[in-house]
Amino acid sequence: MSDTSRIGAEADDASVIERSRYEPEAFAAVFHRHAPEIKRYVTRRLGADVAEDVVADTFLVAFRGREGYDPSRPSARPWLYGIATNLIRRHMRVELQRLRVLERTGVDPVTEPFTERSDERVSAGAVRRNLAAALAGLPAGHRDVLLLVAWGGLTYPEAAQALGVPVGTVRSRVSRARGKVREHLGGVDPTSVSEESVHG
Amino acid sequence: MDEMTQVNRLRSEVPLPGPAELRAEESRLFAEIAASVASTATPSAGTATRAPARTVRDASATARGASAPGAAPASGSPAARPGTTRRLGERPGGPRRPGGLRAALLGNLRRSLAVGTGAAVVALAGAVYVTAVHPPSAGPARVAPSVRMAPVAVTEVLRRAAETVSTEGDLRPRPGQFLFLESQVMCPAEVEEDGRTRRYLDHSVHRVWLPAEGSPLDGGVMSVRHLSPEPYPGESLPAEALRRAGSRSEPARVTGRDDRPDHLRTDYAYLSRLPADPAGMREHLFTGLTGGAIDHYEAWGRAGAMITQAYMPAAQRAALFRVIGTIPGVRTVEGVEDATGRRGVAAAMSNPESGIRHEYIFDPVTYRYLGERVVVVDAARAGAPAGSVLTSTALLKVEVADRAPETAPGTASDGVPEVSHDVSEDAPAMRP
Repeated sequence: MSDTSRIGAEADDASVIERSRYEPEAFAAVFHRHAPEIKRYVTRRLGADVAEDVVADTFLVAFRGREGYDPSRPSARPWLYGIATNLIRRHMRVELQRLRVLERTGVDPVTEPFTERSDERVSAGAVRRNLAAALAGLPAGHRDVLLLVAWGGLTYPEAAQALGVPVGTVRSRVSRARGKVREHLGGVDPTSVSEESVHG
Repeated sequence: MDEMTQVNRLRSEVPLPGPAELRAEESRLFAEIAASVASTATPSAGTATRAPARTVRDASATARGASAPGAAPASGSPAARPGTTRRLGERPGGPRRPGGLRAALLGNLRRSLAVGTGAAVVALAGAVYVTAVHPPSAGPARVAPSVRMAPVAVTEVLRRAAETVSTEGDLRPRPGQFLFLESQVMCPAEVEEDGRTRRYLDHSVHRVWLPAEGSPLDGGVMSVRHLSPEPYPGESLPAEALRRAGSRSEPARVTGRDDRPDHLRTDYAYLSRLPADPAGMREHLFTGLTGGAIDHYEAWGRAGAMITQAYMPAAQRAALFRVIGTIPGVRTVEGVEDATGRRGVAAAMSNPESGIRHEYIFDPVTYRYLGERVVVVDAARAGAPAGSVLTSTALLKVEVADRAPETAPGTASDGVPEVSHDVSEDAPAMRP
């Protein structure tokens, strides 16, 4: 999504953040590069209304913590996703409540503001409702990892960096989360080979 | 379709937000950045001088060494003493410093205003700012409306300002002629009344005649007319301030010291020889500077000296505007007013050492330069509440004059006759 804006920028995030220690204004570049995708991610998880606060806080936390940024990491994406994930946790009740609404009614409170035609909302079929149920049923740490990979587009090492856990943990959590989702989808895709026992 | 694809599709209709949808977050971050800029002391700027209330201090003499151009004459020197001007390099025994036309002018203005109090010239590694120093109990001088900061737009504003610069109506004063600048100025002032120091907001019109070539000490003349003063917020208007309203100082020679190196000259003849391309102008602006944060403030101050107290030919002005937009730390402030209430958009830079934000204001449509403002961003450092407008000016007129008015010897007096000056018939007011 914002790959083009990241590549081709004159300096990588690490050097911009380094500069912002002495020249705080430089940090604006970090915002302009990453805020759109971070906001989209947070919106998908919590809804637009809550996302505004969470995204604003994400960049405030990042700005205040810029001294602690590891300069050996050229891209700030994992770092920002990690901060956002921590802040999303504070709104877990909202996240779960909205997933439950989707699960029960087929109407997604999160996407509603972005959906123009009501028939699209209605068309939210069994798959979505089952997905919502699956996501709501995951342990928080598993949901975080799965969505960082699926929605945030982070690689396993990036997700590990974001959450401060070993890559092996990310791998196993994704694997288990996928299994859980598959279970809820009820074998929607017969071609997929189960990696773990579906009935856990 | 595997379950990962299904997850990917869920809520994929949520769009990537555009800048408008990120404005709230952006504002919060930028407010934080601005606060941080204001409160972060830059390492090499530790020597900026804040004069105590009731004095105007020679900033260059008290601030750290060689790069301070603030050469405001000491407060003890007479307001206008013809024949005591010093020329470039004549100052005996003194180190050669970048000079202080701007500070000298301001120093003169302040003494003409009998301000000399509540105001200090602060030199920060070359950039000269006028700030007010209030006693601890001081209330807000004037609280600015909240502003929206948008750093990203500054290049755009200055690019437009540059593109609006037209050579049509460009002034071309010849050697021997003068540039006449008229501006309205608001700044806090103090008077003695019944043995007490009383504050008020002075409004006045300043007129200055600058030689088209050479130092302003080389025949420059200035005068001040006081307008109706305003009470300091929460205080009554001192009788002395009212008495001064409508009074006019006699045109007086510009005095002080001018030992600026060549690259800091701002006379028309010199400015008209500067490069008219952004790269060349940038090189000029950063002469002797290496590009650290402090150097950026210095460059900002240098640019201001060329914009606010001088007249720059259109070609050089356009180039300068483009260069200012590239100075790190310069940002845009929208919805600001100059001293006459003209609304505009400002290019602004915060001075972390003195806790103020310094703004050059442009017309929002034509991008003509309107005036400048000094606003407090850090109450502790500035010694005034955040949001206070400490100084506000408006450039009213720029014209070519064949000669400067006669200056009277002796002390300034009230109620002198109208100053006459010759304005070339074909010299329109500045339209940057």
